[in-house]
Amino acid sequence: MNRLSVVLALMPSVALAEAPAPQVPIFAEETATAGVTQTYGGEWEYMAGGGAATLDCNADAKPDLILAGGSNPAKLFVNQSPQGGALRFAETASGLEETAVLGVYAIDIDSDGISDVVLLRQGENEVMRGLGDCKFSRANEDWGFDGGDAWSTAFSATWENGQSWPTLAVGNYIDRKQDMFPWGSCTDNWLHRPAGHKFAAPLALKPSFCALSMLFTDWNRSGTPSLRVSNDREYYKGGQEQLWHIDPDQPPALYTEAEGWKRLRIWGMGIASYDLNFDGYPEYFLTSMADSKLQTLAELPAAGGPKPTFADVAFAKHAIAQRPYVGTDLNPSTGWHAQFEDVNNDGYADLFIAKGNVDAMPDFALHDPNNLLLQRSDGTFEEAGDRAGVAATGLSRGAALADFNADGLMDLVVVNRHEPAQIWRNTSPAAGHWISLSLHQDGTNRDAIGAWIEVQMGDHVQRREITLGGGQGGGILGPRNFGLGDKTEVGVRVIWPGGNAGAWETLTADAAYQLRPAAPASKISP
Amino acid sequence: MQRRHFLALASASAFVSGFPQAVQASAAPQDVVQTWYRLVLELVRHTATYSPPVAARAFGYLGVAGYEAVASGLGAASLAGQVNGLTAVPAREAAVYDENLVLHGVMCEAVFTFFGNTGPTGQRAMAAMKAKLGAKLAAGVAEDVVARSLAYGASVAKHIEEWSQSDGGAVIDNMGFPREWVLTAGPEHWLPTSKIVQQQAPLLPNWGKNRPFAMRPDAVCGLAEPVAYSEDPASEFYKQAMEVYDTSKSLTDEQKTIAKFWSDDPMLSPTPPGHWVSITLEILQAQGADLAHSVDALARIGMAVADGFIACWQAKFEYDRIRPVSYIKRVIDPKWEPMLITPPFPEYPSGHATQSGAAAEVLTAVFGDNFAFDDATHVDDNIPARHFASFKAAAEEAAASRLYGGIHFRAANENGLKQGACVGANVNLLKTLG
Repeated sequence: MNRLSVVLALMPSVALAEAPAPQVPIFAEETATAGVTQTYGGEWEYMAGGGAATLDCNADAKPDLILAGGSNPAKLFVNQSPQGGALRFAETASGLEETAVLGVYAIDIDSDGISDVVLLRQGENEVMRGLGDCKFSRANEDWGFDGGDAWSTAFSATWENGQSWPTLAVGNYIDRKQDMFPWGSCTDNWLHRPAGHKFAAPLALKPSFCALSMLFTDWNRSGTPSLRVSNDREYYKGGQEQLWHIDPDQPPALYTEAEGWKRLRIWGMGIASYDLNFDGYPEYFLTSMADSKLQTLAELPAAGGPKPTFADVAFAKHAIAQRPYVGTDLNPSTGWHAQFEDVNNDGYADLFIAKGNVDAMPDFALHDPNNLLLQRSDGTFEEAGDRAGVAATGLSRGAALADFNADGLMDLVVVNRHEPAQIWRNTSPAAGHWISLSLHQDGTNRDAIGAWIEVQMGDHVQRREITLGGGQGGGILGPRNFGLGDKTEVGVRVIWPGGNAGAWETLTADAAYQLRPAAPASKISP
Repeated sequence: MQRRHFLALASASAFVSGFPQAVQASAAPQDVVQTWYRLVLELVRHTATYSPPVAARAFGYLGVAGYEAVASGLGAASLAGQVNGLTAVPAREAAVYDENLVLHGVMCEAVFTFFGNTGPTGQRAMAAMKAKLGAKLAAGVAEDVVARSLAYGASVAKHIEEWSQSDGGAVIDNMGFPREWVLTAGPEHWLPTSKIVQQQAPLLPNWGKNRPFAMRPDAVCGLAEPVAYSEDPASEFYKQAMEVYDTSKSLTDEQKTIAKFWSDDPMLSPTPPGHWVSITLEILQAQGADLAHSVDALARIGMAVADGFIACWQAKFEYDRIRPVSYIKRVIDPKWEPMLITPPFPEYPSGHATQSGAAAEVLTAVFGDNFAFDDATHVDDNIPARHFASFKAAAEEAAASRLYGGIHFRAANENGLKQGACVGANVNLLKTLG
């Protein structure tokens, strides 16, 4: 038989040589010395979850850390890292030491300027009021929050237009009591909308298809975020990925095929978003098994808003994490948390993916390295996890990239199932310039969830939406960093929730700023 | 609407009682078979290993194991010496056996072996089924009978497992996708159609070399050569491509329903072979079939779909033909997309057509010609049941669905059905209950 002489390496044929190779960052693992000791424990009921959340719980302008523990208690670690120095945390009694915690998300629910925390649990979810100085107490009763009794695995939050209290979306998994036939037993997701300064009774988001990640996101820049839900096809029947209209004073409604939504069925496990192509609209990375998706709007009409039709460009952009790239275990991968951050400060957001077998699933890699996909200037990605030093092969679940030591470089913490969490300090000597921006509003929604930050880069604008949710079991509350490449000053503005655009302001690189509506930026010194 | 069949009831009641309701009500051996098979259909759906050919193989061996265990108690004909390579299963002692527990013993061993390459949820489900159903079945049965029956069932299953190891399909690596692959040169040959990296190589290229059950290994059912490739608008190949294209542009609601009904995607359904097993289970249950006829029918349908995929795969990789989506984008319309996801392997013939042709041939022999039935396989996925006047009508619709879905040319469907009929005829030659 006549055969082509070229062996398919089973990789996309992108223009690998056309864009300059990105600077590979260097991460030094400091697990042994950083004081972050947590293991995400538990058996079948904890196969998902294991989230990490960042917040500033003691007002020192340094991100503190909460890690879910599954069958072990959740833990809070206060950041004591010196600026530019080794990572150092102190485990601190906080009132969050609950067991059965799968997910942790920080959010200032009551807009008192002190971050609160939502705990996603096996059983009753809890909202924990921040008391200051990294202490928390249960507020379910005070805030009318019905924590239910489910296997909660996904979360996102937004402030609907006109509301002074947030709307929380909680994603739930299968009915854990079904042992012989759990498939098809997906339980209802919930929408906790405000009722004054409390939560109304949760609204069931029917149909629900075993959500493992949710994200309120303004995908069409309408000013009203929709709810993106990534669902695990392992357990649903008749399900698919979902996008919900969450319009003020209206019941939730699914986007339909007639509106342009295309059915997609994956092992949806984590959502990350970022405007990668500088067109003003976010792209979405969806983790899955043996596959992953990088979605971009299929068409941007000359007039009017886009349809919710997304094209998968993961293969073309080489944004793939389908199987291990190091070691001898080359079975397909299992992706969980995903987060876009610019780890080398070259001005192009990179992608970290936490990976790990569910639990001895024989078709999938047991030694599955986490990915660090560096974005090139042409929008394609290349794998650098091994070269950067973060290709750990534990059963990773949640993760968080944040600048823990205030040196402008994004550090990394990863939560592992059955094994200790790991933490790395970004020690890259040759990274680009950067800027760190924290948003603050008076009144409600203090952290400006739903805002967009724009950074003028000359021929294009970096934009990022301030979201709360997504990932796998955890998320970021706090400053957003932008890599600036060789720029030493940039124009910055914020489009605040509600749509008011602030004025452009020129800021000097390599510094952290707080941005407020109608006020000049102020420098922050940790 | 959720299907409220035997197993749905069992599932719903499992939490309350801990045991399938129907088993509680009757504890008939055929109900034990039904209960385990319903779990197997879920395992197939939720385990990445079980692409259609692999699932079909597992159905084949599970069916033979169940049949042989029952036949040994009835004095019915063994398949040993009839199917390729099977030797006589262990004989029973001259002692009392409980047929429920014999079957439970078979299933505990064989399901864990043939469908056990599953994740923690599947493992948990199998363990729960083994423990809870076993305890229920053993209640009131003498301990020595329990032990003897379970042990005998397990011994038969182990014999089948040993036999299965040499057929060429026992080890599945990387979900069946080669880690490297060389494309065949020439415009008529298969090209990857997926944007998933793993699927840049075709699924299970050596599956056609596996040892079949009922076909002679040296006389695997073939089929006519595919239509000669051409890009000439006057050619038959172009016409068949245009038929796919034109059909996709004018799909009726009924055609869309049919395409969706028989889509049977791996990991989202029990797969095409599981679809026919589901049909068989529903009919057996509706008929109140006894144990002997239940295991006989399940053995035959399992072997039919297994051999169907072997014959089909042998032809697929002999001809290695291009999919409609590749041809149409190249020659007719670069922006065209089919309704269904194009499977990651060569086009000719249609796997669903071949195995459906085999299944129809076998089920017609088991249940009779013009046997009307309702197929509720997908009601849990909110896809309503469909009524068929005969198994042949269902198979023809399954084959046509691939044209509506835009993933096969007409010749692959029509000739696949013929190939499947040949496969089924081989199974029909086997002597079982007499």
